[in-house]
Amino acid sequence: MSAILGIDIGGTFTDAFLGDDQGNITTAKVPSTPPDFAEGFLNAVDEIGRKLGRSRESTLSDVDYICHGTTAALNALVTGNVSRVGLLTTKGHRDSIYIMNVEGRYAGLGPEEIQNVAATRKPPPLLPKRMVKEITERVDYQGNVVVRLDEDKARVAIRELLEDGVAAIAVSLLWSFVNPEHEIRLRKIIEEESPGTYICLSSDLSPKIREYERTVTTVMNAQVGPTLRDYLAPLTEELELRGLNGALLVMQGSGGTVSAQDAPAQAITTIGSVLTGGVVGARNLGRKLGHRNIITSDIGGTTFLVGLVVDGEPVYSSSTTLNQFTVSTPMVNVTSIGSGGGAIAWLDAGGNLRVGPRSAGARPGPACFGRDGEEPTVTDANLVLGILDPKTFAEGTKRLDVDRARKALETRIGAPLGLDAEQAAAAVFEIQNAQTADLLRRVVVGQGHDPRDFVLYAFGGGGPAHCFAYGADLGIKEIYIPLGDANAFSAYGLTTSDVVLSAELSNPATYPFDAARVERQFAELEAGLTARLEAQGVSFTSIGMRRQLDIRYTAQMFEVPTPVGSGPLTDADMDTVISDFEHTYEQMFGHGTGYADAGFQLINHRVFGIGSTAFTPELPIARKAESEDARGALSGTRRVFLDSRRGWEVTAIYDYARLTHGHRLEGPAIVEAGTTTVVVPRDASAQVDSLRNIILHLDDRRP
Amino acid sequence: MAVTPVPGSEIFASRPYTNEEIRTDLPEHLPLYPTDLSGVEVDPLTYEVVRNRIFAITDLMGDALRRMSGSLVVTDCNDFDVALTDPYGHIVQVGPYNTQLVASIGLAIGWILRNRADNPGIEPGDMFLCSDPWVGGGLHQNDVALFAPLFHDGKLFGWTAAVAHQLDVGGVSPGSWTPRAEDVFWESLPMPPIKVVRGGVIQCDVEDAYVRRSRIPKLVALDLRAKVGANKLGHERIAELIRKFDADTVQQVMQLQMRDAEQRLRDRLATIPDGTWTAVNHQEQSHTGDREAHAIRLKLTKTGSDLLFDFTGTDEQSGMINCTFTGLYGGIISAMMPLLCGDLPWAPGGIMRCVDIISEPGTLNNATFPAAVGKGSVASSWATTNAVMECLSQMLDTHPSTRSSVASVCCGSWDLSIVAGLNQHGAPFATSILEPMAGGFGAGSDHDGVDTAGLPFIPMGKVPDVEMNEFTTPLLYLWRREETDSGGPGRYRGGLSGSVAFTPYHSPAPIYQVISGSGKAVSMNRGLAGGHPGAAQEDIAVRGSDAAELLARGELPSTVAELGGTPEFPSNQEESLLQQGDVYVMRWQGGGGYGDPVLRDPELVAADVRELKVSRDAARTVYGVVLDDSFTVNAAATAACREAVRADRRNRVQG
Repeated sequence: MSAILGIDIGGTFTDAFLGDDQGNITTAKVPSTPPDFAEGFLNAVDEIGRKLGRSRESTLSDVDYICHGTTAALNALVTGNVSRVGLLTTKGHRDSIYIMNVEGRYAGLGPEEIQNVAATRKPPPLLPKRMVKEITERVDYQGNVVVRLDEDKARVAIRELLEDGVAAIAVSLLWSFVNPEHEIRLRKIIEEESPGTYICLSSDLSPKIREYERTVTTVMNAQVGPTLRDYLAPLTEELELRGLNGALLVMQGSGGTVSAQDAPAQAITTIGSVLTGGVVGARNLGRKLGHRNIITSDIGGTTFLVGLVVDGEPVYSSSTTLNQFTVSTPMVNVTSIGSGGGAIAWLDAGGNLRVGPRSAGARPGPACFGRDGEEPTVTDANLVLGILDPKTFAEGTKRLDVDRARKALETRIGAPLGLDAEQAAAAVFEIQNAQTADLLRRVVVGQGHDPRDFVLYAFGGGGPAHCFAYGADLGIKEIYIPLGDANAFSAYGLTTSDVVLSAELSNPATYPFDAARVERQFAELEAGLTARLEAQGVSFTSIGMRRQLDIRYTAQMFEVPTPVGSGPLTDADMDTVISDFEHTYEQMFGHGTGYADAGFQLINHRVFGIGSTAFTPELPIARKAESEDARGALSGTRRVFLDSRRGWEVTAIYDYARLTHGHRLEGPAIVEAGTTTVVVPRDASAQVDSLRNIILHLDDRRP
Repeated sequence: MAVTPVPGSEIFASRPYTNEEIRTDLPEHLPLYPTDLSGVEVDPLTYEVVRNRIFAITDLMGDALRRMSGSLVVTDCNDFDVALTDPYGHIVQVGPYNTQLVASIGLAIGWILRNRADNPGIEPGDMFLCSDPWVGGGLHQNDVALFAPLFHDGKLFGWTAAVAHQLDVGGVSPGSWTPRAEDVFWESLPMPPIKVVRGGVIQCDVEDAYVRRSRIPKLVALDLRAKVGANKLGHERIAELIRKFDADTVQQVMQLQMRDAEQRLRDRLATIPDGTWTAVNHQEQSHTGDREAHAIRLKLTKTGSDLLFDFTGTDEQSGMINCTFTGLYGGIISAMMPLLCGDLPWAPGGIMRCVDIISEPGTLNNATFPAAVGKGSVASSWATTNAVMECLSQMLDTHPSTRSSVASVCCGSWDLSIVAGLNQHGAPFATSILEPMAGGFGAGSDHDGVDTAGLPFIPMGKVPDVEMNEFTTPLLYLWRREETDSGGPGRYRGGLSGSVAFTPYHSPAPIYQVISGSGKAVSMNRGLAGGHPGAAQEDIAVRGSDAAELLARGELPSTVAELGGTPEFPSNQEESLLQQGDVYVMRWQGGGGYGDPVLRDPELVAADVRELKVSRDAARTVYGVVLDDSFTVNAAATAACREAVRADRRNRVQG
């Protein structure tokens, strides 16, 4: 027998999902154990073993590989708990990471923060200026050496850093992605001076044009590489002691994986590790359900997260923003705003009602949690509107205080606006729904897609309660709410993921492109990927490669990733790429916006290497109900307010535990599903599918 | 230098028009959607939802324009903007890009309504192109705006507009800035509003007439499409909004948003004591060969919740540093938005109702045709912003509730260097060196100015990477860095500026260069409350440098002295050639300081020295702070040094 284990560590819970080739599924949820997250990891494995009634050793002995989503690198960077790092860079260009291309003053901020220009600041610097050593050397845009590397001076600089006690040295020189010779030589010198010091070369990690992003990426990687190494090495050892023969793989922000052994060298690629689980899970569930185009929406406690699956694959971006620094690492595109269940409703100076982005967090939490929270939140509004039941929230583990919620809404929002508590709650609910819809539209339409071509997946604690509203706003007809055995959604995503590695390389060129040169670049990237896939310690049934070129009209700032067929490439293929680029461009920006006369530029080459495993865990099929009639799951009725045009309506309440495959119910209804609450509005219906997901049909009663 | 007036040109000089003035002259076949909707109730909830949508729409339009554009000044510097207005052109929402640019959108729309409604008519699907700074829509001829009337139910419901700086729109000099211009006929000729899109289709005859004048017609044509695309996107989204909420509601929210911005600004102004504040901002040299300094004089009077900007006494128009009234108008808004309106809806249509302006035609920032105005955006319009910022900050400094918004003048001008020629790929190029976007911000009453921060009226400015510059232009950058001691000293230090040094590299031909920018001899980036100005601008052309030999020998020069050759100090307005072997060094302006530098916390000075923001020498001579070798403060020596600085000041006053 063989099995795959997914372990997803979040801030609050650690989820485990084990699937084997016999069709068995086992899930576990244990508390996370900061700061030593490894403990929670091992507890989750034990919990799986307990559920299976097996010993530690035999739990792990059948596991082909473990796929692990971790926040180790991200947490270290966000909290600033990073290794002491020195940077070697080209003389004259030390300040790139301080100037931050100016964008560092506002990158990653919301539009209203950006508008308040005078209040914007740059983040604290990545490292003190005196920890950056300028190296005498220079390479030009073609890779020619303009100034030879001054090794003696470099050695002095390296010694100074080592005397200063650095744990790691980052090396990022201009144009090193075209000619890495000087970076490689510097690595040798560092190794001579101090074997064992963690070294990160920009030409290894991120061989792409744009020195600001490349240097930030290299420095941050050096800051967290040792951290990740210190987390994964003992964990791997412990897992082996406990009988693991298979590999430990770490999830990357790109949705791919990297072996625990290689992960520290590319630590920065794991920063989206946990965020992307939902998108990858949706992609995989979508394959099962036949959905190629999916919008994923996840309302957690603090944030609302949106991702896209287009044509069966998550949408990537080539960089992300962290602490206002731009980091160049491919990431599944996850966009977020502070519109979670804990988002605080408030009145701005002009008396306008606003929701978020500030969150009440876990402490003090929403007013209805009965701690010290006095500010009204989205959760408080949902409670006052009857959407939440004070007794069944979070599987009944937390009793909610309706009076406190009412009072908060009335005093902070209602009184100043001349509304009562219920009207204030309705207003908060509407604004929450409108701004989440705006973000969804921005993500979907902003990338040139029509939301009506997508199904919407809604998960997280709050997604299922609000999705009917933001979904309808976008004209979406069907919403899938993954429940059943897929509720450890991210951990499930980890186990069903192919092993995907990516490699990128800049070699900017102007059109017409030299097909032979492009082919050479791709072949080089693919050879590297094949070797890395083989080093993962997983046996694949097949390995596939997907190629992309980033192309733009001359001197544009933004490139459009454009798929390229497999090689060997010909000039005709280059023309196809250009016409595909133009097609995608017009799709994104509208007919007639393309302008071939401006000429084309090729900026980056990118390849995804995909290793397919022998099996993927299957979700169990639920018993089919004898009839559609779901009345057996009715647990009562209550007054619920969903829509200001309808006001309060008596609404049926269903218990999810008693719903099964084939059941159908009509809105208005609410399904209480333990960790989440599903709202079915009037004129909509819901059915339960064979995996016990709930499907909302918004457009008519009988699909 | 006097220019010969052109009779009949007055018709192109826009002024703010009242709704009545606009309505009076409109033909019957162009009904305006009613804006007095007192009967239409909008509950707070709907107001908030629609208001958010309007914000999202301009955001989306701007994002689309930026992604489609091919000009670095648009994609990187964000030298563009978009706006949504009501039927009369009152701006409901501007995008957070270059707020200087959109300020005069309303003036241009008023002009179009008064001058284009009969002939050629204003129809659904039309878009008007305008590059006439007297009409508005931009500050100089490079700012090409595209206005799109938006109809609902056969009535003119509002307008969307997209405006962007185009790198070259013709004229005597590449880049369309002509330092030796004697009048506007030496520059790109202004193009008053012309219907370039009819029924949603770009008219190729009109497009040709427009792009034919440019040295880079392809890029200009690409950007035209970017603007068309942005306007179309805006229209689609507004139409959706109307479908969902009905037209009356949307129009009423547009009106309420302007009223809300106005009311909140009035409330803020009412808390501040009434008073009068003054500022003078100088620019030296108005054109090649000029040796004068030219002053913009401002007296700001605040009464209740009204602001009166009186520019009486400003020097006469001169050379090519002038701007039109639209530049003056934009100059005021671009200081008011960041200082007073950071947390208000960006609805200039409401904000400007608190403002009255007095200005004499024929002066630097209210130039009359045919004065040269090609540099207006970064010359007199920017200098206007400096003066307005200085006055507003003095005003804000008088009340505790507004003190935290105080900001000394930021980088006070644009260090312009346009380079043009053939690039290393054999193609023609013309671009502006964009690094001066990394100006220092002025210090506030409680914080240092942000280093290499950008420009306050371009919230999302950006400079490209050195590698991108070297890929697209035939230049090699010897350095690009923050400059020690460039931030204006003060109790709170102004933000540092930076410098670059570049040399022609693989350039098949000499590089033609236009150099322009004041603030070399006079400080435009003044400090406040005893704070010093930021560093002045300085450009140096090192002719026949030793750079090539040094590089070949394995050395990377990092100072002008190491470069050898003959350093030349270009004046403010010049055209020249950058030859193989020349190195061009640019250092732009830092932000002004706030408060007396000898009151700065010595520990902050020590930290600045450690981080290379302040030199040891300046720490001692300017801040009166003495450090020992390990960057720690020597308290006794510091106390003595500061006393000596004060004594010296007393002596100078008495002596």
